[in-house]
Amino acid sequence: MKLTHENSEMDIQSIFQKKLLPIALMLLATTSLFAQKVVRYDLYVKDTLVNFAGKEKRAIAVNGQIPMPTLTFTEGDTAEIVVHNQLKESTSLHWHGVFLPNKEDGVPWLTQKPIEPGTTYTYRFPIIQNGTHWYHSHSGLQEQIGMYGNFVMLKKQNDPTFRKGIDDLPTVPLMISEWTNYNPNNINRMLHNANDWAAIKKNATQSYAEAIREGHFKTKIRNEWKRMLAMDVSDVYYDKILLNGNHTTDLKTVDGKTLKAGDKVRLRVSNGGASSYFWLRYAGGKITVVANDGNDVEPVEVDRLIIAVSETYDIVVTIPDDGVAYEFLATTEDRTQSASYFIGNGIKQLISPLPTLKYFEGMKMMNDMMKMNGDLDDMGMKMSLNQMDMNVVMYPEITGEAKQKQKHDHSQHNMDNDPNRYNANELGEIKTLNYAMLQSPHNTELPKDAPVKELKFTLTGNMNRYVWSMDNRILSEVDKIPVKKGEILRITIYNNSMMRHPMHLHGFDFRVINGKGENAPLKNVLDIMPMETDTIEFLANEEGDWFFHCHILYHMMGGMNRVFAVDDYQNPHLPNKKQAYNKLQRESNMLHFMIENDFATNGNDGEAMVQNARWSLGTEWRLGYNDMHGYEVETHLGRYIGKMQWFMPFIGFDYRYRKMGMDEHETNLFRQKNEKDTRRAVSLGFMYTLPMLVNFQAEVYHDGIVRLSLMREDIPISKRIRAGFMVNTDFEYMAELKYIINKNMGIRTHYDSDMGFGVGLSLNY
Amino acid sequence: MKSLKYIMTALVMLSFGMSNAQIKNAKTETVKIYGNCGMCETTIENAGNVKKVAQVDWNKDTKMATITYDAKKTNQNEILKRIALAGYDSDKFLAPDDVYAKLPECCLYERVNKPVAKTEPKTETHDHSSHTASTEMQEANQLTSVFNNYFSVKDALVKSDGNTTSTKAKDLLTALGAVQMNKLSNEEHTVWMKVMKDLAFDAEHIAETKDVAHQRDHFMSLSKNMYELIKVSKQETPVYYQHCPMANKGKGANWLSKENAIKNPYYGSQMLTCGSTVETIK
Repeated sequence: MKLTHENSEMDIQSIFQKKLLPIALMLLATTSLFAQKVVRYDLYVKDTLVNFAGKEKRAIAVNGQIPMPTLTFTEGDTAEIVVHNQLKESTSLHWHGVFLPNKEDGVPWLTQKPIEPGTTYTYRFPIIQNGTHWYHSHSGLQEQIGMYGNFVMLKKQNDPTFRKGIDDLPTVPLMISEWTNYNPNNINRMLHNANDWAAIKKNATQSYAEAIREGHFKTKIRNEWKRMLAMDVSDVYYDKILLNGNHTTDLKTVDGKTLKAGDKVRLRVSNGGASSYFWLRYAGGKITVVANDGNDVEPVEVDRLIIAVSETYDIVVTIPDDGVAYEFLATTEDRTQSASYFIGNGIKQLISPLPTLKYFEGMKMMNDMMKMNGDLDDMGMKMSLNQMDMNVVMYPEITGEAKQKQKHDHSQHNMDNDPNRYNANELGEIKTLNYAMLQSPHNTELPKDAPVKELKFTLTGNMNRYVWSMDNRILSEVDKIPVKKGEILRITIYNNSMMRHPMHLHGFDFRVINGKGENAPLKNVLDIMPMETDTIEFLANEEGDWFFHCHILYHMMGGMNRVFAVDDYQNPHLPNKKQAYNKLQRESNMLHFMIENDFATNGNDGEAMVQNARWSLGTEWRLGYNDMHGYEVETHLGRYIGKMQWFMPFIGFDYRYRKMGMDEHETNLFRQKNEKDTRRAVSLGFMYTLPMLVNFQAEVYHDGIVRLSLMREDIPISKRIRAGFMVNTDFEYMAELKYIINKNMGIRTHYDSDMGFGVGLSLNY
Repeated sequence: MKSLKYIMTALVMLSFGMSNAQIKNAKTETVKIYGNCGMCETTIENAGNVKKVAQVDWNKDTKMATITYDAKKTNQNEILKRIALAGYDSDKFLAPDDVYAKLPECCLYERVNKPVAKTEPKTETHDHSSHTASTEMQEANQLTSVFNNYFSVKDALVKSDGNTTSTKAKDLLTALGAVQMNKLSNEEHTVWMKVMKDLAFDAEHIAETKDVAHQRDHFMSLSKNMYELIKVSKQETPVYYQHCPMANKGKGANWLSKENAIKNPYYGSQMLTCGSTVETIK
């Protein structure tokens, strides 16, 4: 297949040509080794530098390209894929949505050992299905920096399911991905530390000042009362969106034929983004969906669809006129970024960008849905299959512009009781795809005589510490789930968290119970929105350890995973299964570190923390510049309890040295005297998050002294200004204001009862 | 160490950033951007401009824009794309249809680059209404040419151009003669019978002379009769009935316009914006 692309991102090209052309040439020599039915690809995985968004950054290229090369097979072939790891770290490749023996599935420490640097590894499996799939690294965060590629399996010529007018159309594989100039490890760390720099970049801080300006002060108060941080539809800010590695592409010919009016083009779209959902829209009219996750569906015509992380859709678009190239636009769910493909020849017909989200409407909706204990309340609406999208309240193109809404209040009144108020397709003229509209052209029923095992999962998590789990357990806290070969697994999943989760099952397609009866569609990724309940089922007829996880990379790395162990599979790559599973568990609950210090005129204020999903070891310090102001360090080791993690019991150690002058003793609220200028004390205590996100801390020291304190940090006053305060029973108090300059730096001014007024530069990592 | 570097950069940036507002690596190009009026100019320029990176100066008469930009930071395509997303076609980009449709009436320029819509009904969202509209439109067409010629006469008068006014009035006369009464709707027919003779009379007199003052006298009654006709005839776009209190020796006079903005045909550039819209006919 030959495509003609005109790249407007010439800088990337030039880097590739300079550094990677020799490798690409080498590949050309090797891939032509076709055996009769064995299709072999050699993949050279190598560090590279790219410039996608104004800066030269590290990425990983395979055979010198990002995305990785498109691998094409025909059903019945045998795939032989040889991975040459030229990185300085280990890697792996997972064949997303592909049926294969478990040992070829490509999950390090679950189905194989990591491919070590400098080594070569061969995956070999028969191709027993067809459709649009993709492949990516399953090691760490490598998927974020380039390790994603198309994996296409064609139907055999005489396949009885061959659809004329669809399967014979000119076809273009399209890989969507996001690029960030930040190191993904750093993003992961920032997410866990609730760093809101991404929100500032996206203009989504939702501060008090912005709330007041839009008449949503009460909404914001109620939101904080319910202990929620500003909500967003996605958490990571990306610098560029890429379609097949380019921000803008002209598609003028397919397979050497020039596109003209009336031509139909089939796009095999895969979402290789690490954490972004994308809206897909076309300037030349409706989009016809013909397959999903590699499985044919009855054609459905829609105006737009959202593609969840790691899903694939096959869509057909038509070119209405000659002399015009029509924009196919992929826009992130938060609507801050997009990438275009212009299909056709001539002047470029644009499609209007999606209008900005009405964040405070979303906040209001979230307030209504969340109970005080952090559970979600669907208020009797049985939500499933993306049919009711709570986010429509934020979409101006469906629910109107933010400001108009307040003026025309009468139209709003009866909306609150309208059963269709979240149903996008009832509210507007725009037809949006949802899972209930997908129907398989074939009977997908499972054998009726097979035993059924019912499972229920509740998706859980919290934004504040960015911990995501299932049934409030992360992978490192659970064993594998035993399944007998030949059993049907029927899984009901309820999303009780505030984010949507694209749940992906390795090795199988599952049926989505969506009211289409025997023609229920087959998928391997199911996006589940907050408060939705969905049921899936599949026949566990292939033994091995199969991963089941949220495909948002940063959720997966935080432990939102399970393993289905179908029978007692002996994997030749992993003789010691128990040890391997321990490693897998450890990798999904890594420690993350943060440190912060304010270099102020009156001393140094700061803290450092090492945390994982449950434990936190933190130390805070206040170091004056002279003995009278003193030096103080408090260290706590605690464990977070509960789903929302509002409660943390801890043991602590305090050290203080200070010279107060003669006879000056401190008395606290309880008339306890603290007579020592030099104090070393061990304590027991707890921290609890109160409404309005105020931290209440109580501790008892070994000498009987009690201390209670109230503290709130990071009150979003305006987009970049944060306020905070602390007061305790030792009559100490502190108030602060901070202006955020960038992700690592701010200017802070504070008044401290011990050290007085200070201004300083606050640095954090 | 990294933090130190940040501080240094911040200080350097603070000291430089404020003083320098010029576009560096400047490259200047002239491109065509389709539009109509002064309002278009504002929108086009605002959409194209980026502080210190791109500057657009569009001329509403020539429809040409002078684009100056920092060649290291942006390119012509990015600028034209922004302008197209604001509703204005160029030779490289077509504006999204919904954005174009939301432009103010006076800005609805002719989209010469857009292919004639043969597949239009398929992509339109409100096709149910267009069915009935299209049949009515064909019948309305013969009056539309009358109105369009009237607007041409008016535009020539705005420019105080007696020659053009005269030729446009001849066209108007032809258009009046071409109207087939039996194809008019009942309402149109009634009004047509009433005003037809006066319309022809005024048009003839305007065509006969090149004296703008005399043409303007006849234009007063022409406008009045035209108003009665246009009121009963369905229009695709709104038409504004406008009034100048000073015309007709202080008695005031009216005219019809496709734009809400005032361009006075009785005084031209002397008092171009004198007047106000008294009625919007839809």
